Order: sequence, then C-alpha cells, then structure tokens
Amino acid sequence: MHRIVSAFLFAGLVACGQKAAYQETGGPDSIVSVGEVDIQEIKGAASGMLESLLREGVLSTAPNKPARVVVERVTNDTSSRFEVDELTYRMREHLVNSGQATVVTAYGGTPESREAQEIQYRKAVLEGRTEVESLKPDFILNGRITQLKRSAGNVRQTTYTYRLTLTNAATGNEAWTKTVDFTKQGTKDAVGF
Amino acid sequence: MNRTRFLLVSVCLLAAGCGTVNTTTTRDRPGDDSIKTQTRVRDLSTYLNLRASEVRLFPTEGGVLEAQVDVANDDRFPRGFSYRFAWLNERGNVIESPMSVWKATHVQAGGIITISSVAPDMSATDFRLEVRRAEK
Repeated sequence: MHRIVSAFLFAGLVACGQKAAYQETGGPDSIVSVGEVDIQEIKGAASGMLESLLREGVLSTAPNKPARVVVERVTNDTSSRFEVDELTYRMREHLVNSGQATVVTAYGGTPESREAQEIQYRKAVLEGRTEVESLKPDFILNGRITQLKRSAGNVRQTTYTYRLTLTNAATGNEAWTKTVDFTKQGTKDAVGF
Repeated sequence: MNRTRFLLVSVCLLAAGCGTVNTTTTRDRPGDDSIKTQTRVRDLSTYLNLRASEVRLFPTEGGVLEAQVDVANDDRFPRGFSYRFAWLNERGNVIESPMSVWKATHVQAGGIITISSVAPDMSATDFRLEVRRAEK
C-alpha cells in the first residue's frame, strides 16, 4: 500500500514538473537569481552602455572614421562566475556591424588581440622590420563589474554594478564613462520578471 | 468613540503603508518634443493601471533619436512591469540590434517614471514599445 502511494506521488511530481522548452534569451520568462548574474542583466548592461555611447556621440569625436577602439580588460569583481566578454562582444557586435567603430585587435590582451599581434609581428619579421606596424587607436575601453550584497532576515538583496570607461588614447583623458545597476531582492530564485 | 478613532488610525496607517506617491511638477503642458502615439491593448488589467502619460521623440547630441515615455501608475499599489523598445526605419522595418532588450522596472502607486531608449543608428525614425506585467 505504502509503495503504491509513493509511486502515485512520484508520478504526480513528474507530471507537475516543467518540461524543457526554448525561451527567448534574456526574455521576461528568464530565471532571476538573487545571488548570481543573469543573462538578461548582461544584455541590459550592454544595451545601456551602447545607448549612452550613442546618445553622447563620443565615438563621432574621434579623428578616424569609424572610431578605432581597443577593448581592454573588463574585470569581474563579483562572486558570480561568467564571461565578461559576453558584455563587450555584444557591444562590439553593434558598434562594428553598424560602422560606428572598428575594434583594433592589434592591442590589448583578448585572445583575438594576441592573435592579431602575432600576425603583425610575423609580418614585420618577414619584411625585415624591427618595429611592428599597427593602427593607432582613438579610444581604449575598460571597466569593472562589482556587487553589493545585503540581507534582512531571509530576504537577500544583490546589486550588480557595471562600469565602463572610454579613454582618449591621444590625451589619456576619460572621454566617456557609464554605470548601469541591477538590483535583485528575494528569498529564492524565480522564473520570470 | 474609541472604536471610531481606532478605525481612523488603522485606515491612515494602511493608506501610509501603501506608499502612494504625490507628485508636484512645474510643467502644465506637454513637452515640446511630445508626439502622438497609438496603443494596442491586449492586457486590460495592465492598461487600466499603467498608462503612457506622455511620449517624446527627439534627436540626441550624438545625432540618433531618443524616445522617452512617461509611465503613470493610477493604481493604489506599486506596479512592476517589463518593457522592450524596438526601432523602425523609414520604411517601417525593424532595425535588429542587441540594444533591443527586455528591461524590468517598478512605478510607485500614484507615481510616474520615465522609460527611454536610444535608436541604434541614424536610419531609425520610429519606435515600438512592448509592455508586459511583472510576474508578481
């Protein structure tokens, strides 16, 4: 008897379980985790940064058209593990594809930058040059992602702050900076926002 | 008498607890960049409480357009919602961009917030805004 009841309960649980289904990436049915960075925040941060860049028209002040940008390091100072490149690649996708900027990969420490530097170096050696010829950038992009965690009783709150800075490569001055915050509060992770 | 007083105090406390926002503004007419819009309502419960009180469209310093929508909450409770802007070119085609993402926000009871979006490029002339009620 006990076994039958258990089997029914198990079958009931299986029937109630949610079937795996495709969701719109970063859509309103995405999972919201209180203590982790979610995809909708990365997408939202990239969107917020791009909006600010285009609103201020910083890239159009560059001597080169389209503006030459080096994507430097964006540091993840949170306890959440994720690729910060997810943020910068989304920004690059829009800026490069729309012709508003070109990313100079012969500088910086990203994998494709190292690849580009290697190609430049090989070319210089083959041509008997001692100096590596590369495009001078107009701007250098770098940033940091930080977190602030607080709790009251069993309610947890986390604020993730995305900060990006664009430095004028010729003057060394800060040409643009932007902060985008996301605050999440709750006792447990949830589906949908 | 005591009971009446108790009820009044309770009602006042409840009203204060709802956190209704009182708003004061010096503006008594729509903004100079205010435009006319059309709305298609599919969720009446959202529509009854949240409304776009003013929509503005103007060029930014960078040259691209910016849309600002004032969302007013006429309800007695705070409202959460998510929204997404999509930008259209002159022919009415959607300009695909990673800038078009769902964002979540709240508006206090009786309050107004401004949601905005910047066009992805110079070819954008119009926009479309989708609003969806929050899960809770």
